[in-house]
Amino acid sequence: MRLFTIVTIILTLFIISGCSNTTNEIVVYTSVDQVFSEPVLKEFENKTGIKVKAVYDTEETKSTGVLNRLIAEKENPQCDLFWSGDPIRTIVLKNRGITQPYQSPEATDINPAFKDPQHNWTGFSARARVLIYNKNLLKPNEIPKSIFNLTDEKYKGKVAIANPLFGTTTFHIAALFTTLGNEKTKQFLTALKVNKVVIATSNGDVKKQVMQGRVACGLTDTDDAFEAAKENKNTGFLFLDQNGIGSLIMPNTVCLIKGSPNTNNGKKLMDFLLSKDTEAMLARSCAQMPLHKGVKVPAGVASLDSIIPMKVNYDKTAIKLEEIQNYLKAWAEQ
Amino acid sequence: MGRTIIKQPLYTIVYLLFVLLVVFPVAYTFLLAFFNIDSLGKNLQLISIETVLLLLKSVLIAATVALFSTFSGTLLGFLLYKTKMKHSSFFKLALLIPLFISPYILAVAWKDFFFIMAGNSNIISSELGVALVLTTIYTPLAMLITGNAFSGIDSKLEESGFMIAGFHRTMSKITLPLIKPAVISSFVLIFIFSISEFSVPAILGVKVFTTEIFTQFSAFYNHSLAILQSALLLIICLLLLFAEGKYIADASFLSVGNRGNNTKTYQLNKRRLPGFLFVIIWLFISVILPFIILFFQTFNNETTNFIRAFKLLLPTFGNSITLATTGALVIVFIGFVAAYKNYLSQTQTKTGKSFDLFMLFLFATPSTIIGISLIRFYNHPALEFIYSGWTIIIIGFVAKFSFIAARLLGNAMKKIPASMDEAAQLEGISKFKRFLRIIVPLVLPSLFATFIISFIFSLGELGITIMVYPPGTEIMPIKVYTIMANAPQSLVSSMTLIVFSVTLLMIIGFYFIAKSIIKKQSYVVG
Repeated sequence: MRLFTIVTIILTLFIISGCSNTTNEIVVYTSVDQVFSEPVLKEFENKTGIKVKAVYDTEETKSTGVLNRLIAEKENPQCDLFWSGDPIRTIVLKNRGITQPYQSPEATDINPAFKDPQHNWTGFSARARVLIYNKNLLKPNEIPKSIFNLTDEKYKGKVAIANPLFGTTTFHIAALFTTLGNEKTKQFLTALKVNKVVIATSNGDVKKQVMQGRVACGLTDTDDAFEAAKENKNTGFLFLDQNGIGSLIMPNTVCLIKGSPNTNNGKKLMDFLLSKDTEAMLARSCAQMPLHKGVKVPAGVASLDSIIPMKVNYDKTAIKLEEIQNYLKAWAEQ
Repeated sequence: MGRTIIKQPLYTIVYLLFVLLVVFPVAYTFLLAFFNIDSLGKNLQLISIETVLLLLKSVLIAATVALFSTFSGTLLGFLLYKTKMKHSSFFKLALLIPLFISPYILAVAWKDFFFIMAGNSNIISSELGVALVLTTIYTPLAMLITGNAFSGIDSKLEESGFMIAGFHRTMSKITLPLIKPAVISSFVLIFIFSISEFSVPAILGVKVFTTEIFTQFSAFYNHSLAILQSALLLIICLLLLFAEGKYIADASFLSVGNRGNNTKTYQLNKRRLPGFLFVIIWLFISVILPFIILFFQTFNNETTNFIRAFKLLLPTFGNSITLATTGALVIVFIGFVAAYKNYLSQTQTKTGKSFDLFMLFLFATPSTIIGISLIRFYNHPALEFIYSGWTIIIIGFVAKFSFIAARLLGNAMKKIPASMDEAAQLEGISKFKRFLRIIVPLVLPSLFATFIISFIFSLGELGITIMVYPPGTEIMPIKVYTIMANAPQSLVSSMTLIVFSVTLLMIIGFYFIAKSIIKKQSYVVG
């Protein structure tokens, strides 16, 4: 009987633990790696006293957790704000009617190219697609300068890209489709396949393969490349196509969830994320490039003013992405 | 049915709660996917000949893994449980280590090993590589199942054999036929684990059916097609489990921790050295080698990342241990209730059969689908108290692991001689007293073993937990998973070693608690 009472008390406490509900909190889902997003959210908590309850996921495993969770929770949203590492996922949510518009005063000086015209999402702190290379395997004059060089015979079997069905690699390929057109991009992708491009499981895997010397170079994001260069002196990176189509810039994006329980706190966090201070933090922690002018960045972090960006419309690219997914699946599985 | 409800209120309550809280949400998701004619029609068109071929490829890989794991596991089980090999207790425990570590980590360790040793990892990045890695992971499970079957053989049967025949004949005509149900059971369980495994083929870059389901979920966000594809996987698993159930009938297999019968041990004589070498080689390949790689990556020139990993994981220890302990307790309770009902009925009743079938259905359902189903069902203002707390995670654990617990305990109960209970009944001892004084003490070691297995599985569960964990909660597997993406290899390896150490420490702690309880109970029985 005593055991029964103890078990009952434990189970009651257990259920009650889930019932605490205060209004001075905000629920955030993020696909930005926890090592980088958690300090920013803690800073917001310290500054405002609003308790942040976060659900983390990672791009490395395609953010299956948070995005599918947001879609499944559509009818009764639990999340107030979604912070994505790229525009793709927020646009997926926007197209499914899961986001709500908000025009943050902090974003007024951010280039309109990085904002949704209907204010369903706003971009900040950007990453770019870069070429990461192993200095032991490529002499300075051998480093490709354009993405199109990767189809040259001399790089046969020496180039890696992440699975194009997921994450920023999908977006990169979709951006090539919108910039170059279907025919030219398909020719390029076929040539890459002929040149025995290595399909890695993720951008992190591309980084690892280059660092270990399994391949000579690969396409990845600036944060991975920056980490690799810090970890291993034999690894370098560069922005491709600076005399041509430019490098793809991918801002972090943030959006409010429609019908969320703490929309006001969501707006406060959105303002905080879009501030110059957050951009400075992300520049220090993972070499992200600020979209605001005049943000202090550490040495080695590129400025958006110093690189030629690929001219893309994120919404059109997201639509193109849905169109080409079956093609990409077939290409990856060839 | 009506009489059963009155006679066994606890069983009825547990059964109804299980059906309502755990089975119904998942079954409802499947029904929605099947009865939405529009999407069903569209999705059926997407199931092509390639899909079928991919399914066959997965079946082939899983069958290979199940075959090799069961073969190696049976050999290890025989050597460690049926002979007097030196240090067998140590080997029994050490060989279980791969079961404690996430398959993802082991796949990465193997990939790195091949790159370091052979200069490229292409050898392991193949169907054969997937089969090899999974075989090293699941062989301990086969060893555990068959080893306990070996221990359960009544010595009289083998001794009679030895009186008229030699080692080979006794083995082939008596010992092996007696453990056949355990061998089949091991094959089936490992087959299901292997065919549902996603992370190892994904890391090794091999396309299988689970990676295809994942693509539908994560690239196309086509939940209904993913559910439909999962149903194909589910049908295969269910058919196999049904076939196994029919074949094995009442044999007691898949049991651990039972008080062994008076079993006979074999003398290996000149086979002792090859047998010992086989155990050593297996230990080296499946445990020592991956650990050398992990240690090498962890402490390569520095210890700072190990300290960092510890600090990162420290806030998760309390939550994760509480969750896994509560989960394991609930799972053991449900498994016990289901198993005890079957024990009392002698022949399975309709509700007993349906209970088993439901547990089996959930066991074979992919974690992501269970996660999505729980969100769809519980994310409702009226059920907020379940959805926004830890209860939802416990429901997920129960869905995934009750089947194993019910089987382990059911088979432990089958080993209890009916004569003991009957004798007590003749003496006029009440049912409750017989339960407390006979059943509980006799299955206590199995209860403990089932608790430990459920604890290990719950502590490492990721697929469902990441879908439903309450915002702001720090849980160990989630933290490892979300940190490992951009972290240096040494930090990832450090986290793996820490998770392993925490699991081991908890098991040791539980062992001492259980030991004192079991000792007390033996006095009661004595």
